[in-house]
Amino acid sequence: MPLTPHTRPLTAADAAHLLRRTAFGGTQAQTRALTGRDAREVARERLAFTDAAAPGNPFDPTDAATPGAGVQLTRAAWLFELLYGPHPLRERLALAWSNHFVIGTDKVRNVPMLASYLALLRRHAATGDFTRFALEVAQSPAMLRYLDNAQNRRGKPNENFSRELLELFTTGIGHYTEDDVREGARALTGWTYEGGRGNKNYLEETRFVFRPAQHDAGRKTYLGHGGNLTGEDVVRLAATHPQTATFVARKLHRAFVRDTPDERAVAASAETWRRTNGNVRAVLEELLGSEVFYAPENRSAVIRSPVEFIVGAVRALGQPKLEPKQILNLAQTAGKMGQLLLQPDTVKGWDGGREWINDSTLLTRMQVAAALTLGPQAPQLAEPPSLLALLGSERPPLTAALDGLGPKQRTYLALISPEFQLA
Amino acid sequence: MALDRRDFLKYSALAVAATTGMPGFLARAATQAGGTKTLVVIQLTGGNDGLNTLVPYSNGAYYAARPNIAVPRKDVLTLTPDLGMHPALKPLTGLWDAGHLAWLENVGYPNPNRSHFASMAIWHTADPSQARAEGWIGRIAEKIGDPFCASNLGGTTPQALRAESFSLPSIDGVDRFQVRLPAGLSDAFETMLSLPRQGEAAYLGRATRQMLANTGKMQKNVSRYRAGAKYPEGRFAERLHDAARLIASGTGQRVLYVSLGGFDTHAGQRAEQDALLGELASGLAAFQADLEAQGLAERVIVMGFSEFGRRVAENASAGTDHGQGGVMFALGRGVRGGVHGDSPDLENLEGGDVRYRQDFRGVYAGALTRWLGLNARDILGGDFAGPQWVA
Repeated sequence: MPLTPHTRPLTAADAAHLLRRTAFGGTQAQTRALTGRDAREVARERLAFTDAAAPGNPFDPTDAATPGAGVQLTRAAWLFELLYGPHPLRERLALAWSNHFVIGTDKVRNVPMLASYLALLRRHAATGDFTRFALEVAQSPAMLRYLDNAQNRRGKPNENFSRELLELFTTGIGHYTEDDVREGARALTGWTYEGGRGNKNYLEETRFVFRPAQHDAGRKTYLGHGGNLTGEDVVRLAATHPQTATFVARKLHRAFVRDTPDERAVAASAETWRRTNGNVRAVLEELLGSEVFYAPENRSAVIRSPVEFIVGAVRALGQPKLEPKQILNLAQTAGKMGQLLLQPDTVKGWDGGREWINDSTLLTRMQVAAALTLGPQAPQLAEPPSLLALLGSERPPLTAALDGLGPKQRTYLALISPEFQLA
Repeated sequence: MALDRRDFLKYSALAVAATTGMPGFLARAATQAGGTKTLVVIQLTGGNDGLNTLVPYSNGAYYAARPNIAVPRKDVLTLTPDLGMHPALKPLTGLWDAGHLAWLENVGYPNPNRSHFASMAIWHTADPSQARAEGWIGRIAEKIGDPFCASNLGGTTPQALRAESFSLPSIDGVDRFQVRLPAGLSDAFETMLSLPRQGEAAYLGRATRQMLANTGKMQKNVSRYRAGAKYPEGRFAERLHDAARLIASGTGQRVLYVSLGGFDTHAGQRAEQDALLGELASGLAAFQADLEAQGLAERVIVMGFSEFGRRVAENASAGTDHGQGGVMFALGRGVRGGVHGDSPDLENLEGGDVRYRQDFRGVYAGALTRWLGLNARDILGGDFAGPQWVA
């Protein structure tokens, strides 16, 4: 059974909810523009993005004087795109994929490697072909480096990528054996990359190469299939495994519906996934136009991640211009709150939900809210943001608490409220 | 009539919240926390290679399996006729000589899982069936009834410190751990927090309240500390320094938690693990020296673990893949120094891995019963025998 479509015209609160989930929030005017529209049609529109980038991005990672600076500039350039880009849903999805096909800048410090990894996530943000996406990720120098497959050679395989391919990228635990991990590693031997090795070559281009002499061409058995399997075969078998549909659909539900997803709804999305052979765009279009997406119990049910909190605040304020230094700082601050772009703590990625919340991160959220509203560097706003833009409702219960405060203080208090921490 | 624990938490939360706006579990804290001993848990994230930490230097099978990454016999810091420490652990030799350093051999759990995350969750929840969501330290906090009785030093709270109804604090820098509300906003802030809420919003409101109480309590105390040792550079040592500050200033935590990451050494292991073990040892040596200088060394022990050891044989990238049994360590005046357990049997492996012989829950039980004075059975959900590593 596919998900039931949401058929009533969108109310202002519906539109605000959609924008909070797909665009990190929006202004009063952006919300109004969607009011009265059809949910499925709006979902389709929002998914029809191009590769257009935010104009005037001041950060160019190829300017970097050191590998560390290259990483920082890459991070800041991405945050700029998140803050000001014309396709926030594409960026929201790229963020979600960076938390699925995880790499980390502790090991990946080559600028072109990071750039092509990010371009890959954007190109496949709402991919029509998950298997192809998985294959391109598996052959990206960033992933080959991060999970050591670049050093996976015949005879003594390195199992790191083979294990995480199954455990984290496709089927999830419980649907493969330790033998599958070992056999997969054998099939993936010989996949490596050229260029960009060593600290000095952090600006050098890199490319995938297959080295037949290091490949184990013998017979293997993988996920119940036997033969002289290649790396391509293994990635394809994992990506098209029926459990992969459920495993990845659950992640999409966690990102877009609620932290603790309803398993029947996940199963419906997984069915659509299997029916369309891994067409993520179709799955997302159905999801973002569904009853379950708009259900009252799923409103304000996702705790905003640090990046979503920061980008959500700036977008709710109407995207005021921030100085490059402020953006660099905000990228670091997101890290202090537990979400350093392109550097999750582990290959599993950020768990999200209540994991984002503890004393230190709450304190930092308060500091960020103060810096964006009350501080000496706070952007000047043409008009204060409305409660609809900040809190997703025209008459939130919070209204009474905000009475009698000046516009900056109202905005500050709204940004540190529990309601703003949720999408 | 006996209320069960959940009901008690629920009712007391309602009652206290109605009068002070403070969740019940905080209000109970003052009466029940008590205790003067602290356990510091060190997590080595990524699967530390036990064989290159506590090296079986007399064993030919060790050198045969690791032609490139074995620690040469001449470099080993000899502890027993069969075992010695990795040379990077030199800062800990004084503690060993004083009988204040213990190694626990071949520690693991039944049906080992080679996933970092599944295995780490097992250590965190003390539940190899992976059925429980809350952590073993979270259960300590519920038992004691004080969410401030255990804290993580770092940015994100590990699962070990998750309780049924709340997460224990993470303190990412003692100096930054304070609320500074802009002037004139206190009343509006209080009104905003006091609104009735449901679901995740209620959770966030409660977390904010808890944070206000925690930061206030800590800042009141922490100025009492004067450093007693020089700590090395780096975040790990900084966090141990913060741990010493919290202990010295009497903020009352019974368990403090510090992580050191990067042990997933699939390639080029020697360089990576050597540096990490050096960071570990120099940080711990400074921490111990600080406690001695403060006169607190009798009150604190350290217990360290990793989610698994690594495969016995090296791989083609001069690294090691995920294995099973590993070593734990413990240090402090309250620890019975020495090696607890037999050297790993490298002739009798399981799928290329060291077999575990001691259940980690038995090691936890030692800390719970003999150090923290708690009923280990309540927290671990069963009786687990372990080595007598707590003096």
